[in-house]
Amino acid sequence: MKPSLRPSFTRPWPCIASNFSTFFFQLPTPLTHARNITQIRHRHIHSSPSPPPPPQLASSPPPLLPLFLRPPEYTTTVSDLLEWHSWAKSLAASIGSSFEDSDNGPDSTLLCRELNWLMEDVLDGSDPSLMHKAVARDDPDTIISLKADVQELYSLWKQRIDERRPFQYIVGCQHWRDLILCVREGVLIPRPETEIIVELVGDVISKDEGLREGLWADLGTGSGAIAIGIAKILGNYGRVIATDLNPVAVQVASFNVERYSLQDKIEVREGSWWEPLKGVEGKVAGLVSNPPYIPSDDISGLQAEVGRHEPRLALDGGAEGMDDLLHLCNGAASMLKPGGFFAFETNGEKQCKFLVDYMQNQLPGSFCNVNTVSDFAGILRFVTGFRNR
Amino acid sequence: MQNMPAIFLRSRIRSSSHSPNCALRTFSIRSLFSSATPSTSQYEVPKPSRIRSCGFVAGSCSRLGAGWVRHLEEALGKSSCPVRFGGLRLFAAQPTIEPATSDGLTVEGIISNQWTILEESESDWKSHAAAIAQSISLIKRRLQWKKMLVRLELLSTQLDKLDLWDDPQHAGKISREHGNLMGKMKEVMEFEQELLEHIDMIKLAREDNDADLESESLKALLRMRRFSKEKELEALLAGEHDSCSCFIEVQAGAGGTESMDWAAMVMNMYKMWAQHRGYGVTVVDEMPGEIAGIKRATIKVDGEYAFGYAKAEVGVHRLVRISPFDSNKRRHTSFAAVAVIPILGEGFSHVQINESDLRIERFRAGGAGGQHVNTTESAVRIVHIPTGVTATCQNERSQHQNKASAMAVLQSRLDQLEMARQAQMNAQHTQSLTEISWGNQIRSYVLHPYRMVKDLRTNYEVSDPDSVLEGDLDGFILSYLSDLMDKDEASP
Repeated sequence: MKPSLRPSFTRPWPCIASNFSTFFFQLPTPLTHARNITQIRHRHIHSSPSPPPPPQLASSPPPLLPLFLRPPEYTTTVSDLLEWHSWAKSLAASIGSSFEDSDNGPDSTLLCRELNWLMEDVLDGSDPSLMHKAVARDDPDTIISLKADVQELYSLWKQRIDERRPFQYIVGCQHWRDLILCVREGVLIPRPETEIIVELVGDVISKDEGLREGLWADLGTGSGAIAIGIAKILGNYGRVIATDLNPVAVQVASFNVERYSLQDKIEVREGSWWEPLKGVEGKVAGLVSNPPYIPSDDISGLQAEVGRHEPRLALDGGAEGMDDLLHLCNGAASMLKPGGFFAFETNGEKQCKFLVDYMQNQLPGSFCNVNTVSDFAGILRFVTGFRNR
Repeated sequence: MQNMPAIFLRSRIRSSSHSPNCALRTFSIRSLFSSATPSTSQYEVPKPSRIRSCGFVAGSCSRLGAGWVRHLEEALGKSSCPVRFGGLRLFAAQPTIEPATSDGLTVEGIISNQWTILEESESDWKSHAAAIAQSISLIKRRLQWKKMLVRLELLSTQLDKLDLWDDPQHAGKISREHGNLMGKMKEVMEFEQELLEHIDMIKLAREDNDADLESESLKALLRMRRFSKEKELEALLAGEHDSCSCFIEVQAGAGGTESMDWAAMVMNMYKMWAQHRGYGVTVVDEMPGEIAGIKRATIKVDGEYAFGYAKAEVGVHRLVRISPFDSNKRRHTSFAAVAVIPILGEGFSHVQINESDLRIERFRAGGAGGQHVNTTESAVRIVHIPTGVTATCQNERSQHQNKASAMAVLQSRLDQLEMARQAQMNAQHTQSLTEISWGNQIRSYVLHPYRMVKDLRTNYEVSDPDSVLEGDLDGFILSYLSDLMDKDEASP
């Protein structure tokens, strides 16, 4: 049979062993959905604003490491890997547009692309070409090294399809701007839209040296995405405080900060909204946040990847979805220094317009140049502005 | 030679044979000068006076042919520019003319002698010399020697203008191009000079019965003969943008799944070709077909001379086979269009893109977005509003990277548009996909009822379609490029 790089659809589906790796059960339990969110958010956490203890990278079990960072300690034959790949591809193809039709989930094209990325992450550096060569030479017994066991790959892909576990949790990372951020259950997967916040900050600091050299704060940092994005564009100037209420997020954000060697520039603090910023009131040059903004009633209808797997703490913004945004607006004036900049992500046009109106009419004189900015899908997504001088 | 693309060393060119006919089409240096400079009054072409130019061949290579540069310079009336050519003039103490051996043999003369060209292994100096002379004439033809001379004259005239440096950017461009051109021409002329000097040495050695010297020079000729083969190929890629990386785009023709499958096969052929060549290959954009194949796709091919080779593939590729998608097993003909866009490097002037002229859209965005949606789809489309040119990238893993890739595609498309505008007559390789007429077939791939791939431009054909579809394209590419160059120079 002539070998083909295109996996055939005729291979029999291999029987999936029942011993799914116990790997996933070692994860620390994320804050569960069932808890009273509001209570959690406002409970007082007595954490000092001093630097957090270093993340326990060394003692953490391997699950914390995303696939691409793990050592290539497994080996398999090219034919076994291809067999998995064609099984996974058939599974993806069998989905068609059913997820898309039910809750705007991924279709098979997207799932197939994710499968390629999974391959990319699981193969060791030079092995993709090794694999192509093996296929070209029709040598299915060539041994290649992998960052996960083939059995684990079967279970990972089954989780992706059957449980709708987000791809980013499967591989343990999200590519965001030019960063690769580690993510795991309990931490919101940073969205493409949110990349624009960093662009907005970039525009502002290019025009104002004072802001560039100042203190920035990313509230509810999650994986640390915005804080790291900002720290990188600040270059040698300024510094960033990243906060999160959720200890898992604090741990993951710290991990990411260290991976980009920004621990001298970004301080990750645990606590709810303004609490971790005690002591810097009136001194903050820039304030950014992607707070939970989905109205509580909408949570149950969310796409399965989001609703079933991502932390409700990071999504649920109360009855109108505005609880946290309003909290941020109310505190921003006293936290920002005169001329300081803020940018908040919102649920869309309705929240944007409400906030602009609120700041102009309920907090008169506090802010100036309050604006809304659209994302690339054309949805009004961000509210930005400056503290009055 | 350090810039020689690896492909030269392993290419299987078949059409660059040295038929005596092609030698007859060569021009002597003198005739080139006169044709380049119709009004001779302006130029003082030195009178031929054969002088013995050898005797110290073992000297430095840079000295070889220096007289030629001087000669060229003088012919173009440029010897009055000591700054530019000062270094060279040192070596041109006496007026030199068309390079010739002590007894008046020129490259043109060698070719017209029609000495039999034997295998390289035969130690026959005449055979080596004839092969090298033919290579030199082929190289000149491929480099478009006549056009080079005209261009050089034009640039020299511009360089002499007093107000040139009022516009430093323009001046820099002119003097860079002048330098490049001079460099290329000098290399060929030095090569020519070297050949004649070795011939002189052999004759001298025979007169003196110096067997060592003779075998030494014979070896040198053999080295030159091998080297000239490489130079012949290198001369195929002397176009302004040939050394650039490029984008290759493939679009399926009408005919549904069958042609989308064909488009995917064509794209795969290029991916494998590029990988064999050692080029970096990245998929930038891919729009898959509903059932199989692709509607269109763009790949980036990274590496030296990627554009120079790939530009030979522009046009419509036709497939004839029993379609695996036809339950009645009928024979189908499908088409796929290929476009190639050079990615201009730092040294080229790019079209300035105004941020405010761009509309950036999330591709296939639906629903509320933001926290509502978890998707790994972050494709963006960038529209350049004034021209309507668009670029899409969806294969990167972040929106930021998709945007950066799409911007790179957009930049290249706008650069290409600008080049086309400047060139006015739209050279084939600067056509974009939408401009390629579906009638413009360049190659046929027949899998049934017989098996053959045939290039309709060169009639180059191969009876093993599988090897071609697996990326073995060099034969097609090189035969097309040599055809193109040889035709170009032949037509006045």
